[in-house]
Amino acid sequence: MFKKIAAAIPKSVHPNIVVIGSLAAGYQLLQPGDTESVRTKDVDCVLAPRISAIDSGRTVAEKLLAAGWRPRTEDEHGKPGNAKTPENDLPAVRLYPPDSKDWFIELMTVPEPGKEAGKRWTRLELSSGHYGLPSFDFTGIAAFNANPTEFGIACARPEMMALSHLLEHREFKRVMIHGTNIKRCNKDLGRVLAIAWLSGPEVFENWVVPWGKAIRKCFPSARWAALAHNAGAGLRELLAHPDDLQQAAETCSNGLLARRSVTVENLKVTGERLLAFAVEELESWR
Amino acid sequence: MLPRIAHEEKAETGYRPAARWKNLWVEIKTQLHGFRNFRSILFEMAYWLAQNPKNRGLLVLAESRITENRLNEEMQRAARVFHPDALSRLSVAISKEGRYHGLPKNLGNEFTSWLDALVRKGSGSPPAKTRDSFYLILEILMHQWLLHKGPMTTDWLMKAVGCSYPTVAGALGRLAHVLHRSSDRKVELRNFPKEEWARLLAASDRIRSTVRFADVSGKPRPLENHLRRLEKLKIPNLGIGGVVGARHYHPNLDLIGTPVLNFSLHCPDGVMDLEFIAKLDPALKLVRDPLAPAQVIVHAVRRANAFFQPRKEGLAWADPAECLLDLQEAKLETQAGEFLEALQKRVEKPSP
Repeated sequence: MFKKIAAAIPKSVHPNIVVIGSLAAGYQLLQPGDTESVRTKDVDCVLAPRISAIDSGRTVAEKLLAAGWRPRTEDEHGKPGNAKTPENDLPAVRLYPPDSKDWFIELMTVPEPGKEAGKRWTRLELSSGHYGLPSFDFTGIAAFNANPTEFGIACARPEMMALSHLLEHREFKRVMIHGTNIKRCNKDLGRVLAIAWLSGPEVFENWVVPWGKAIRKCFPSARWAALAHNAGAGLRELLAHPDDLQQAAETCSNGLLARRSVTVENLKVTGERLLAFAVEELESWR
Repeated sequence: MLPRIAHEEKAETGYRPAARWKNLWVEIKTQLHGFRNFRSILFEMAYWLAQNPKNRGLLVLAESRITENRLNEEMQRAARVFHPDALSRLSVAISKEGRYHGLPKNLGNEFTSWLDALVRKGSGSPPAKTRDSFYLILEILMHQWLLHKGPMTTDWLMKAVGCSYPTVAGALGRLAHVLHRSSDRKVELRNFPKEEWARLLAASDRIRSTVRFADVSGKPRPLENHLRRLEKLKIPNLGIGGVVGARHYHPNLDLIGTPVLNFSLHCPDGVMDLEFIAKLDPALKLVRDPLAPAQVIVHAVRRANAFFQPRKEGLAWADPAECLLDLQEAKLETQAGEFLEALQKRVEKPSP
């Protein structure tokens, strides 16, 4: 899938594309044969740096549309907007490949450094109408220092995706994923556990240094210390609630940990290890 | 969290329960069969709870012949006497064959593991019973003999073990057939006390309060990584024993790899503070079955002087007598024999 996406995107913007999410995690943590088990529907492509995101986004979207990629119209904001459409009502750029409706690509960008203001939309004017590029508080962390791939586009580092989810869910909000009975925090923190389990303790006990670099770079003011201070709060909540942990484990078994015999108990101690070996040290930084 | 004694909140009577889990204070009574003693401890706990209104109490009767029915009858009688508030914060549970009856609800598995460890070590019992002191003395004699330290006085032994003259004298009397007494009344082992050592080995789990931990993560860490992490954590009073410790004293030990990590925990007050295990690796969980596979094993060293050797990387080396016991407990008989022989034959005396 990486190859397909890279081939469809103009080479000139390859350096500005970072794939994040389960596809990126699976690409780096699973054996080639196992990546088929990552049944992702959405391939999240982050356009970075932000300063060139609009130009890069326009180049990518126009090229894909010209090549027969089709906008996903099933969503609430399925149709393109116009100059009068408020930014928050603009549809995201979600495009199906010409030959399949099994998956789609979604374009997003990183927030301005130091800014933490929830989900924000940046207008993207295409020949077919107006779209929006969403950015989230911690997308910059996820895309930080991404690994290059042989296909030209980059792949988010597993530890950075884990950190972005940890920071995003410091507060354990009970918000459901639209159209499901799955809590967003269970899915995302479950992915943290899956990434940690696949990486292994020998790897994640060394995450605290790159985490520190990323959080300081993305939040250069004193804000980084406040974020680091309770980085593990949401994960602790997840581990303390058996029902949520069970749901997190189920989402993992349908994703990164498919076809692996990883028990809820395995994931619980993986979470405890992650806290003890990395998160607690990050939280102690001043 | 694992067994730990808190040092606060004593009642006017001088009593304070033995251990604490959050605001739940726990007292363990092992082999308490009579109601006179039961009432006595119940009164102590009720007095204490009356003085500590924010806390709760749990009395656990381990290996007791008191039945649940008799216990309920007794608690109904107590309800007529005790203040309802104090009694509402006091629970009494029975621990029998690894199961608990009467535990407060919703305390979780972690609490049960913590309580298991507490019950296993029989918190509240004297740190070292007289019959066990004999083995503590035997271990010190072995330590001195294995390291060619020469003879020692009774007074020195009393201080090293932390026990009285009659206890040391009694032990030396039992060991007379393997002791050499010099003209200045000092003693040392003449040869390996085979029979006594075999008895120590047979009762080793109890005497050394052995606690075993197994990895439940599905991804056990290499044991060397456990060691490195412990060095980083700078855990005090912890000596490396087992195969790793034996290799320190005898580098040519004929064994490839390290099957298990053994640690000796110096706890002269009799309290094993095992909280370091959760810091070492939260995937290590207590296992009750002594035959079940374990990655980390901890033994209590209750004597006053641990005889640990400092290590420049951090932690310490457990003494060779502990290492020998670890090898024998692990059924590494060949290596244990080789270790014993190598230390016996060593001509040079290592620095203390």
